[in-house]
Amino acid sequence: MRNVWIIACHEYHINVRRTGFIIVTALIPAAALIAFAIMAFFSQPATQFLAKTFAGNSDKPIGVVDESGLFTPILPEFQAHFRLYQAQAAAEKAIAADRIAAALVIPQDYMANGAVRVLISDRNHLLGDTITDSKQVNAFFVSHLLRHSTPALRERAAHPAKFSSVEIGTAGGKATHVLDAMVVPYILSIFLIITIFTAAGYLLQGIAEEKENRIVEIILSSVSSTELLAGKVIGLGAVGLTQVSIWLLTVLLFSGAATMVLALNVVSATSWTTLLLALVYYVLGFTMYAVLMAATGSIGSNLKEAQQISGVFSFMAAIPYMVMGVAIANPNALGLRLLSWFPLTAPTMMLVRFPLGSVPTIDIFVSIAGLLVSIPLLLWAGARLFRLGILMYGKRPSLRAVWQMWRSAD
Amino acid sequence: MRIGASDQWGAPRAAREAHIKSMVSLISVKQLYKRYAQVTAVNGLSFDLHDGEIFAMLGPNGAGKTTTIRILMDILTADGGEVAVLGGSPRAAKKRVGYLPEERGLYQNMLVLDVLIYLAALKGWRRQAARRRALDLLERVDLADRANAKVRELSRGMQQKLQLLAALINDPDVVILDEPFQGLDPVNVESVKALLKDFRRAGKGIMLSSHQMNLVEELCDRILLVDHGQALLYGDLSAIKHEFAGHTVRLRTANGLPDALPGVRWREENNGTWTLALAANVSPQQFLADLVEHHVSVTLFETEAKPLAEIFVEVVKGEQNA
Repeated sequence: MRNVWIIACHEYHINVRRTGFIIVTALIPAAALIAFAIMAFFSQPATQFLAKTFAGNSDKPIGVVDESGLFTPILPEFQAHFRLYQAQAAAEKAIAADRIAAALVIPQDYMANGAVRVLISDRNHLLGDTITDSKQVNAFFVSHLLRHSTPALRERAAHPAKFSSVEIGTAGGKATHVLDAMVVPYILSIFLIITIFTAAGYLLQGIAEEKENRIVEIILSSVSSTELLAGKVIGLGAVGLTQVSIWLLTVLLFSGAATMVLALNVVSATSWTTLLLALVYYVLGFTMYAVLMAATGSIGSNLKEAQQISGVFSFMAAIPYMVMGVAIANPNALGLRLLSWFPLTAPTMMLVRFPLGSVPTIDIFVSIAGLLVSIPLLLWAGARLFRLGILMYGKRPSLRAVWQMWRSAD
Repeated sequence: MRIGASDQWGAPRAAREAHIKSMVSLISVKQLYKRYAQVTAVNGLSFDLHDGEIFAMLGPNGAGKTTTIRILMDILTADGGEVAVLGGSPRAAKKRVGYLPEERGLYQNMLVLDVLIYLAALKGWRRQAARRRALDLLERVDLADRANAKVRELSRGMQQKLQLLAALINDPDVVILDEPFQGLDPVNVESVKALLKDFRRAGKGIMLSSHQMNLVEELCDRILLVDHGQALLYGDLSAIKHEFAGHTVRLRTANGLPDALPGVRWREENNGTWTLALAANVSPQQFLADLVEHHVSVTLFETEAKPLAEIFVEVVKGEQNA
């Protein structure tokens, strides 16, 4: 066990210092930051920002041409931001002279149809939407229409409600947040897939490099192939987890405290059983795929070949996502249940099925038992293949050669 | 000795064998057998490595040397036979054996010192002790000033020396070296030779495989010549050289040589020194006795030693022709 730990620590330290690791780890948050900035830029505040920028006169008052007489005189609380004009021509002149940002022309028949014209400069056409969506303009209209009521009523009419919802469960207790309950297993399943692909990349890279460096035989003179394989899987798995964790933390930090609160809410909404099972499938799934990839990857003579050979297991891990449509329609369909019992697809299939409905207990038992039995077997068979595969230099063996190699690995 | 050959050197061989018996066997291999699918890589190989000796396993490419070494290092498992390393199984002895494989390399982006400490840790050493040992070894091969350099910054010769240090980092009782002189310049060859001789003086055992026969002749006490997984020659190097040197003799006489001498295939004289090729059934001792019987006054008599490389080629070719 000591050797496994030494190898795992070594693999971890070597790989987290790689330039490639540092660049890729930093690249994703940087891309997220850019995307975040773009989204922010094109959202409502951005429109207002643009309007302000291009108009350059957002602090200027808005003119009012009141042909209806309902808005004259302007109430004191609005006088700082609204200025009365007797005629449209005067308001247009003021806009052209840049004394006011825009003008509202309220016709005589306003009460009949609510129509209002907005005069804006052709230099600042974005300002039109800003003004019509403005809460201040909305409050101006409500307050003047209710000018004979109390200020409190006018305020309430301008901002009629601040909503907050409380959900009541069918059993009378806390409500079941179906969507929230789906989030944790889904996040874990996606986390599993990302980790598998990320860690597998490092795993294969490490194995291919050791084959090319010819260091592996020196290592095998000190430790068993099983210890080497286990150490690599743990160490490089930790590298993958570190990278994905950094990405997730970055996302949480960028999206702010609201996401944090949501995440905590989501976790609290998930039952402990679901959480525990999701973690069990995550750990078992990662271990199994990593062992398989390392063992088959060791046969390739370089990184590209290793990726090609081990790609079949990445594909198997992704199969449940390809049948997601079926899963949503009927999470307990026979085909999906069979995929849950088959160890190579069980971890991701179960993580996909969990949030979609009640999974039969027998499926949980069979899938976990299958994984618990197959992982030691795969570790044994994988180590056997790994031991000879990693000592084969410069050639990619045929399937027959792999079979013969496996048979003579004792 | 040639496997299955009779002993021509009775007394010296007996003395040598008595000496060998008094030595401790560090590696003992009996009837070793290993097969890969249709190919028998090792076929009934038996040999020993003793304390305080340098033992060479020789053979053409594909003879089964690397497979044998990998079995000794517990990298491969034998299909048959007995293997004992330091009195136990190869697995149990792993921490006390040093190994330099033929296919070798190092972590190119790691620091020299860190590589040695990591490899020592895998052999069960604590970090501080490994560090002291690594610095000591680096000092001995003039690499102390490169301890904090990256491996890829070292020259090829320096990397070769570092690989040898990796095999010695755990202060092993036995070291197995596959082609230890490969790629070394003459200066570094001398440095490595000195290191190996020191190791032998310390009473430890060295088993090496090499195609550089001159270095094997210079360093090794005993050899094993293997082909197709089988032993062709095994034993004391000087005895083997005697065995193969026996049919060519050089001599000087005070009163010339008779024209007809029994058992001589051809003769040649150069500045008073005769070189004679003896028939296969005539030993040098028997020929010397014949000369005395013919009243030849012999002033110099010596058997001509064959270089090990020639013995190697002769035996391997002879086996292949057979």
